[in-house]
Amino acid sequence: MGHRGLLKGYLLTLVLSCLAWAPLAVQAAVKQEGTLVIALDTLGAQSMDPIQESRSAHAHYQAPMYDGILWFNPEKGGAAPGVAERWELAKDGLSWIFHIRKGMKWHNGDPVTAHDVKFSIERTMSKGSLASRAAAVRRDVQRIDVIDDYTVQVFTKGVQVHFAEGLSRATYQEGQLMPKKYIETVGEEEFRKKPIGSGPWKFVRSVPGDRIEYEAIDYPHFRGTPNFKRLVILLIPEESTRVAMVSTGEAAIASISPESIKEAKALRLKVVSVPGTMQAVYQMYGMTLKGSQKNPLADPRVRQALSLAIDRKKIIEHVMYGEARMPMPFATFGYSVDLSTDRWQKWSAEAFRYDPNRAKQLLAEAGYANGFPMNFAITALAGTPFMVPIGLAVADFWNKIGIKVTYKNYEYGAFAPMVRGDQKQLVGAVSMFRTAGRPVAAARYFGGFNSKGAHHLFGYGEDCPELCQSFDKLHKAVTVETDAKKRMELTDQMVKLVADSWIAVPILEGMGYWAVNPGMVGAFKAIPGRHEFGDVFERMPRVDQKRWN
Amino acid sequence: MRRYILQRLLQGLVLLFMVATIVFFLGRLTGSPVDLMLPEDAEEIDRVALIEALGLDGPVHEQFGIFMTNALRGDLGMSIRHREPAVDVFFSRLPNTLKIVPGAMGLALILAIPLGILSATRRGGAIDRISGGIAVLGIATPNFWLGILLIYVFSVKLGWLPSARMGGWEHYILPTFTLGTFLVAGYMRLIRSSMLEVLDSEFVKLARIKGMSETVVVWKHCLRNALIPVLTLWGVFLGNLVTGAIVTETVFAWPGVGRLTYEAVIFRDFPLLQAVIILDAVLILSINLTVDILYAYVDPRIRVAE
Repeated sequence: MGHRGLLKGYLLTLVLSCLAWAPLAVQAAVKQEGTLVIALDTLGAQSMDPIQESRSAHAHYQAPMYDGILWFNPEKGGAAPGVAERWELAKDGLSWIFHIRKGMKWHNGDPVTAHDVKFSIERTMSKGSLASRAAAVRRDVQRIDVIDDYTVQVFTKGVQVHFAEGLSRATYQEGQLMPKKYIETVGEEEFRKKPIGSGPWKFVRSVPGDRIEYEAIDYPHFRGTPNFKRLVILLIPEESTRVAMVSTGEAAIASISPESIKEAKALRLKVVSVPGTMQAVYQMYGMTLKGSQKNPLADPRVRQALSLAIDRKKIIEHVMYGEARMPMPFATFGYSVDLSTDRWQKWSAEAFRYDPNRAKQLLAEAGYANGFPMNFAITALAGTPFMVPIGLAVADFWNKIGIKVTYKNYEYGAFAPMVRGDQKQLVGAVSMFRTAGRPVAAARYFGGFNSKGAHHLFGYGEDCPELCQSFDKLHKAVTVETDAKKRMELTDQMVKLVADSWIAVPILEGMGYWAVNPGMVGAFKAIPGRHEFGDVFERMPRVDQKRWN
Repeated sequence: MRRYILQRLLQGLVLLFMVATIVFFLGRLTGSPVDLMLPEDAEEIDRVALIEALGLDGPVHEQFGIFMTNALRGDLGMSIRHREPAVDVFFSRLPNTLKIVPGAMGLALILAIPLGILSATRRGGAIDRISGGIAVLGIATPNFWLGILLIYVFSVKLGWLPSARMGGWEHYILPTFTLGTFLVAGYMRLIRSSMLEVLDSEFVKLARIKGMSETVVVWKHCLRNALIPVLTLWGVFLGNLVTGAIVTETVFAWPGVGRLTYEAVIFRDFPLLQAVIILDAVLILSINLTVDILYAYVDPRIRVAE
């Protein structure tokens, strides 16, 4: 037998070996066992119907069983292919075309098609929908056409360059996919009792006020095929109880706040911090309105002084126990789209430095060498109670440069109405606030600074001076610019306009915090910007698959 | 007696109307549930649409009229968060609370009665002082802190008991103990005071003169009389336990009415908050009325006075 014969024999042996091992390899790939138990502080409305949930709690407990039209980039954060494996803006900019993955199926075996995408968007924006952006999607969408079983075209009212990203859970919840044929066959009430989705987890049962149970699918899924056989999400409102449950093994993972990190580590639990989930900010009201000129805060030098007076690193170290980061400009993160990230990271390192001497100098230049009285409203939005101690620390830094801060604590439900409309109680004052981690800054900027936005910090109605008008024009330009490079330049200009105003200023970039029992779940990575784990459960290994270091 | 009962029923109805009115208007002063349901960057168009979808867009007095009309038919509205009739949500959780209440009451009585009697009969002694200390500690210790401490010791450190949630019999121990503890202190002091008063009575002196043993005097004759005020308070405490298990149920993730009340307040779920408070008021009024009627039957002096 010559060399060729030997080679043939070798190759044949190799092929036969692979064939012999293949069934075992396939079997090993789908081996699923054990129950993954998660303890959360809230389950929102605990409704398995996506249109009945308006808050991000859906992202914990609906996300396991429902896919989004777009999904996440699990490594960097931000939007990425989901049920739509690719999408493009039409040449005239007035529609988006989504190409649906082939081979996806609902939990009852029906195929996922473009008809389900059309049905889902229309259902989400229907009048009876409680989804948080139902009305906005109704305003933005003209009609939806199914081109073929795997292609759908969404026509928008005007150019909407960020419409597609809005269908990712990285941004909002409105892209969740629902089964058209199933709902039309069984009806909405039955769908709510026995929901099906297309996600990696199938619904088993929901016990109101207590838990939701799921079972893993056993076929491949683009989000990952779960390693655990079952998933149980528990509602445990008290944080110390959640930590105790993870410590005893009654749960594998629990959401916690920075105050519990030390305790969790003392109990030998792992702490997973998810970067880029929010920014704690402070913002000023009525600074550009007629009649505000006499307010010290109407002077940009005074506003910049307030930022320079804050030692952000100290707040991160002592209030956040080291589990936070220096921020980028307002509502921008490492995964933000259309942004010169490197440029803004460098800018932030300089702009957000601690420089109390320069702060005092600026105050003196503005004529306030002896300081001035200022009202400061401190509040904490749901899920971020640490905003209160951050606010207290900030007030203390301002006191140190001579500003006589009078602060008042507000429960958020009582504070929220004050920020709307004419903001009578807040004009001339400062308050704590928050931005959620989303990849598209333009949406948040609309709410914060546009004259028609909810907070209209640059002005509104007839009281929209030059800064306000400039912003409105720039923001509009960003949202309709179809050329990516130009859009980036416009976004940078918009960010600069807001940053230079010093009217809404980030204090730090917060994270999501989770206590993990390393004996119950293997080492996993979170998705940047994604506090909720609804899209991570299927990627979590068992302990026997990947141990923690 | 019939007249007494009718009078009390009418008073109860008036009281319920006042409770419903106060809760309806006060709740709405605290802010809108829509602010807590929407993300902080929600547009005004979304806010307005959600208000309309939840039926919160009419004038307040119109909403009140609709609420009262429906309430007379037993419909207390649709829970904003749960999207189910608020009455159904309440009654689905009530059994869970009722599962720990009897245990808490029983624990309180089992501990409080002997401690109260011993304190009274050994007045000024070591037992009296220790019991007094336990009473002060029990009243001063916040339920919240006690619950967390018990979880830390018995679940985390010793691993003897589960940390939270409903489950088998072992899940009942810590929440029952937490809920019952503050009752022990209150009852114990009450029984002690009541016993001291009874021990000084003429009939007790007569019983002793007649040669009855101290055990019979205390446990048979004195205790029966000393328990009358305890029984009165028992009704009040029972109602308070059901309505006031907020902290215990939150710490132990017990899906009962107490935690439901907390969630309704936090999320401004007006219909659910109204339903919980009104139904709690009905419960407390019913219990108090039952106790008063029993009291009137047991003690003829009260019937004559009424």
